[in-house]
Amino acid sequence: MSDAVDELDSPSSALTRGDLLKRGTAAAFAVGMFGGLAEKSFGFAGPLQFAKKQLAGELRIMQWAHFVPAYDQWLDNVYVKRWGEANDVEVKIDHINNALLYSTGAAQVAAQSGHDLFWFISPPSTFQKQVIPLNDIVQEVTKKLGPMAKVARKSTYNPRTKQFYGFPDDYAPDPVQYRRSFLQEVGGSLRTWDDLRRAAPKLKAIGHPVGLGMSNEIDSNMLLTSLLYCYGGFIQNEENRIVIGQGSNRRGAIEALQVMRDIYRNGMSDEVFAWTAASNNQAFLAGRLSVALNAISIARSAEDSGNTALSDDTWLASIPRGPVMRMGNEHVMGVFVIWKFAKNKEAAKKYLVDQMLNYREHFVRSKYYNFPGWTGAIKGGFPAIRKLSAQDPHKPRGKYTVLTTIAEKYTTNPGFPGNTTPVIDEIFNTYLIPQMFAEVAQGKATPAEAVSGFARKANALYRKWRNQGLV
Amino acid sequence: MPFAIFLAFPFYFALVTMFKTNLDLANVEHSPYLYNDLEGGFHWDFWNYATTEHVRFLFEDTNYPRWLLNTLLVGAAVVAITLLLAMPAGYALARLAGGWGQSAGVAIFLVYLIPPTLLFLPLSRLITQLDLKDSLWALILIYPSFTIPFATWLLMGFFKTIPQELEDAALIDGASRLKAFGLIILPISLPGILTVVIFAFSLCVNEFIYAFTFISSSEQRTVSAGIPNDLIRGDVFFWQSLMAATLIPAIPLALLYNAFLDRFIKGFTGGAFR
Repeated sequence: MSDAVDELDSPSSALTRGDLLKRGTAAAFAVGMFGGLAEKSFGFAGPLQFAKKQLAGELRIMQWAHFVPAYDQWLDNVYVKRWGEANDVEVKIDHINNALLYSTGAAQVAAQSGHDLFWFISPPSTFQKQVIPLNDIVQEVTKKLGPMAKVARKSTYNPRTKQFYGFPDDYAPDPVQYRRSFLQEVGGSLRTWDDLRRAAPKLKAIGHPVGLGMSNEIDSNMLLTSLLYCYGGFIQNEENRIVIGQGSNRRGAIEALQVMRDIYRNGMSDEVFAWTAASNNQAFLAGRLSVALNAISIARSAEDSGNTALSDDTWLASIPRGPVMRMGNEHVMGVFVIWKFAKNKEAAKKYLVDQMLNYREHFVRSKYYNFPGWTGAIKGGFPAIRKLSAQDPHKPRGKYTVLTTIAEKYTTNPGFPGNTTPVIDEIFNTYLIPQMFAEVAQGKATPAEAVSGFARKANALYRKWRNQGLV
Repeated sequence: MPFAIFLAFPFYFALVTMFKTNLDLANVEHSPYLYNDLEGGFHWDFWNYATTEHVRFLFEDTNYPRWLLNTLLVGAAVVAITLLLAMPAGYALARLAGGWGQSAGVAIFLVYLIPPTLLFLPLSRLITQLDLKDSLWALILIYPSFTIPFATWLLMGFFKTIPQELEDAALIDGASRLKAFGLIILPISLPGILTVVIFAFSLCVNEFIYAFTFISSSEQRTVSAGIPNDLIRGDVFFWQSLMAATLIPAIPLALLYNAFLDRFIKGFTGGAFR
């Protein structure tokens, strides 16, 4: 696949944002001069509240209720107000439970009405036909900050349409969170999946099972797809064609299913089939689990609970290595889209650009959860991010620095080594991956049967989206 | 008595949990029904092992008081609209519609059974066209679509239990039908009307899908949509605040049900044999 940003820089690419503004200003001037409608041509709803500003009107933003309440309070009451005043835009930001984002997005599309900017927790590529391409602002930010993080680009770029359908604002690395004392007690290690397979029965025997979900929720999706990568069971190839049913991919997927079946049978409990996204947090915070894969909300909640014995014993690590690679999905890929029906597209674009150009405070206030879509958004890049996270005062000191390593080396997009296509998005949102793993773990299908069944469904989805011209 | 204790247990559990410290709540070795010290021991001065921090968070750091007010406003408006339309409809079906009244009543009741999950998408478009998005008026407009069919069916059955002769006597004495309805039927129908009031209000408090779909700003939400949105953040549940948020509106509703229990049962069963 050619590099997306290179394509944007090519002479045949779409208008740049600068061009657009220049041409728009010229057009507005012409209409203003000859039509006597200067105010309407600029789209001003009323007199400027703040002089010499370019935008106007209302900007409505929808995003998740961040697990750090203080981040949302700062965002809503400080950052957004400040930005609104600086740009003469009245910004209204709404937050919803992340499990309801997709259904709300679908409802807004059905009604053809809603927010100007809509944030999704994972790349919403099935909505591509409902949103405007954002190549212009991606190019603008790239020129100022350097290349977009690979995980962000692969999540939001469609090589078939050559468009960025979303703006990759932030992502969260997905570390392993484990109780160090329990691992030491059983003499276990998390260097490889095989290490974890060996440690799992011992951990369960001391009353602290492993907690890896196989349920219809985001954590299970991310973790189990990562496990497939580690064993070389890729769902699709670099050209975004479904390959999981063929050759080494099939063998890798079967092996990954066997590993998870073993870990479940010897080291977990039945509850993992009924988990919600919050269940591993709750079980870990209750002191039961020894190992979980999740973004840092577990470690942060342990700190907030005041249980220092638990939080000091909660350590972070990179995803275990498999026989093929050490690679994991991002846990959250925060992607903003601008609906075609959005009323204030210009303000929405400027908001996104400005936010990314000033991302440091977002990273710090989110307690190092929100990694920027452009690493250069934090001056100094990964080394600076590592330094910032090293300042965290909680024990063990420096535990959050591993996030930088994970982000830099071991984080990828759903659909790796290809892009996050609508096929992958639909596979995720219909939870075909956890269902495949659960079938095998529960003995309802052999690994080979489960992979064949999954491949059939994935190929059907591929044909569906291929016919729509999106893969 | 044991049955009453059984029914009151969820209230007790919520009451205890809402004042628990994080450390006490998260420790599975601690009793969830008592306040424990760090070692899991119980003390009679239990208030020293509890905290109001999470209730304070609910009232000061979320829009919870506003959600309560919104719920009250929507509930009151919907109850008023429901009574205004369901009373004459139920009366007409009971008295004036003849033999097909029963069938029409059942048909109206069936409308109540259409799930909101089927309706919220098309209704969402309607609400947008009416420019009622993010407004409590959206709920006030839509909620009667499920409260009126049920209330009409319920009141129809109740009105049927009232002897026709009472009205006939009033009519012979020169009262208009409206006057006979107001002076004779309504006072006798109080249990049925009360049932409709409580039931319609409860439906409004409990409804989630419309409240969530039509309203996106936190200040405009009702309790049913506000609680799961603002107290479940990412994958973190604010358990103590969640318990407080659900217990507070549940208590007055429970007391209301309890105070009018006899009339409520009479209202539901009034038309059962007619």
